[in-house]
Order: sequence, then C-alpha cells, then structure tokens
Amino acid sequence: MISAISGIGSVTSTTGVAAKAAAAPTGAMSFGQVLADVATGAVNTMKAGEATAISGITGNTSVQKVVESVMQAEQALQTAIAVRDKMVSAYQEISRMAI
Amino acid sequence: MIIDPLRAAGAIAASGLDAQSVRLKVVAENMANAQSTGATPGADPYQRKTVIFASEFDRLLGAPTVSVKDVAGDESAFPLDYDPGNPAADKNGYVKMPNVNPLIEMADMREASRSYEADLQMVKQARTMTSQMLDLLRNT
Amino acid sequence: MEPVYLFDLASRHANWASVRQSVLTSNVANANTANYQRMDIEPFSEVLDETSLTLASTAPGHLNINGTEVGAVDDGTVDTWEAKETGGPVKLESELIEADQVNRGFSLDTAVTRAFHRMLLASVRSGA
Repeated sequence: MISAISGIGSVTSTTGVAAKAAAAPTGAMSFGQVLADVATGAVNTMKAGEATAISGITGNTSVQKVVESVMQAEQALQTAIAVRDKMVSAYQEISRMAI
Repeated sequence: MIIDPLRAAGAIAASGLDAQSVRLKVVAENMANAQSTGATPGADPYQRKTVIFASEFDRLLGAPTVSVKDVAGDESAFPLDYDPGNPAADKNGYVKMPNVNPLIEMADMREASRSYEADLQMVKQARTMTSQMLDLLRNT
Repeated sequence: MEPVYLFDLASRHANWASVRQSVLTSNVANANTANYQRMDIEPFSEVLDETSLTLASTAPGHLNINGTEVGAVDDGTVDTWEAKETGGPVKLESELIEADQVNRGFSLDTAVTRAFHRMLLASVRSGA
C-alpha cells in the first residue's frame, strides 16, 4: 500500500518534472513538487497512523488519538489514490492523442 | 498523566460499583442480624457494621478510584431488653440487643442503592462514549 | 478545502469532555467517601482561550487566517488531572446532570467529525 503511493513520487523523478521543479525559484510551488509532497505526506501520515494504532493496542495511547490518527491516514490515502488515478487517466489521454 | 480519560472513567465507575455493592451487602447483613443476640448469659450480641470508603490515586489511570478501606464495627451501645427467659439474659433478666435500627438500615439501603445506580449510569456513559468514538472508524 | 479547524475544535472538545467525564465519575464514585470535596476542571471556553486554534501546517505555503505563515501548533489536549476542588460535598443529581451535558457535547463532536470525514472522502473520490 505504501509502496504504491511512493510510486507517485517516483513518477515525477522519472519524467524529469522534479528536475525542473528543483530548478524553479524557491517560493513557487511547481506541479512536480506538489505531487511529491502529496505522496510523501500520505506515506508519513499512514506510518503515523500505524504507529499510533500499535501504541493504542498496547494501551499507551488513548482511543481518541488512535481514531483521529487512523482517520487522517484514511483521508491521506484517499487523496493520494485520487491523485494517482487522475495522473493515470491524464497519461492515457495524452497517449491517445494522434501524433 | 491521564493516558486515556474514557478508560479512566470506566475504571473509576467500576470501582464505585464494587464499593457500593460491599456497602449493600453490609446493610443486608445488619438487617438480617437485627435480632441476633448472644448465646450465653451477658454475652454481646451482633454488632452493627459500617463501611468506610477511601479514595486512592491510581497511577496507571491517572485518576482517584474509590475502594472500601475498612468494614468497621459500630461502637455505639447495645440497647437492653427485658427478657428473663432468654439464654442471653444477665442476672437481672436484661438481654443486650444488637445496636441495629431497622429504620436507619432501610434509609442506608436506599442511599446505597441510589449510589449504586448512579455508578452504573456512569459505567454505561463511559461505554457509550468509547463506542461512539470507535464508530468513527466504522465504514458507511 | 479541508475543514481542519473543525476537526481540531471537535477533537479538543471531545478530549476535554472525556477528561471531565472521568472527573464527574470520580465525584459520583466518592459520594460516600469521608472528607471528599467535589472536583471539576476548567470550562472549555478557557481551554480555547489559552491555546490558539491555528491551521496545522501540512505543507509549505499553507497560510493562517492572517495570511502569514504558521509556526508550531499548541496541541491543547488536556492530559493532566488538573481538577480543582470546588469545595462542598458531592450531590449525586448535580453530577448526573453535568455528565448528561458532557455526553451530549461529546456525541455532537463525534457526529460532526464523522459527517465531515465522510464528506471529505466522498469529495476526494469523486474528483472534486
């Protein structure tokens, strides 16, 4: 699950968008950077959710914190999936264009 | 530091239930022995029991729970009853009766029941709150 | 648009409500303990006043309400038993009435959180 999301981040590097993003002036958010951040953020949120859940099961965290952490992971995952789906459909649309 | 306040609420309410049920048991014992005199002449009859509660701070929960510290004897005097035929009668024919007043015990029983019900309410509320929190994760 | 403020507010209120629930439960359990004074925690409005609800910074470029960048967020969770003795013995009815109010507030928190969470997921799924 986490590796699939990291794939979004790696797409930007293979297409060279991230390279262009690195060259862009700081302060301006380029599309590639946004994608990479979404992927990284989603992965981190899910890891945090997993850690909190483990801590909750062993009795070291309150139920409320566990629930909130899992909900945030759910939101991040859905967002990342939606981004990935849009990217895939955009790519397919471009590949269908007649040269 | 409280790790989980909802769990603490449940545990505290449970400790209250425990303590109140001990109290109810003691009151019932008093009522049952309201007429229990001694067996030999001049002997002491059944002594009324009272319950002493104490609150102690539970480190794991981070909250004060309640517990029964002691079941003590009521030191008030035994009333005397004139009954020469009783095996417990002293040389003047007086029998020491238990210092249990049924009216007081009935009032105590009502109080203990009320407290028990209130604690039960709190147990249910803590359980409802936890279950509402967990429902957030349930899928539509 | 993420309802971060709403989630944060509901979370803090739910946390405050559960701490208050445990304090009220302690009062009820100790109703017959000798020399026990009734305890309570500070009201939620004071908790709000002491900690500012700012937008959590999830990515660079997120702005707070004033248009400037945000720093670290004060968590605002009530995690210590800062109950003060308000004096006076415990009256069971008052405790139960207060507990009832706390429960209603808590139910509202979870209901609102669930509704907005589902809405957010639905909007993300449909590509809005």
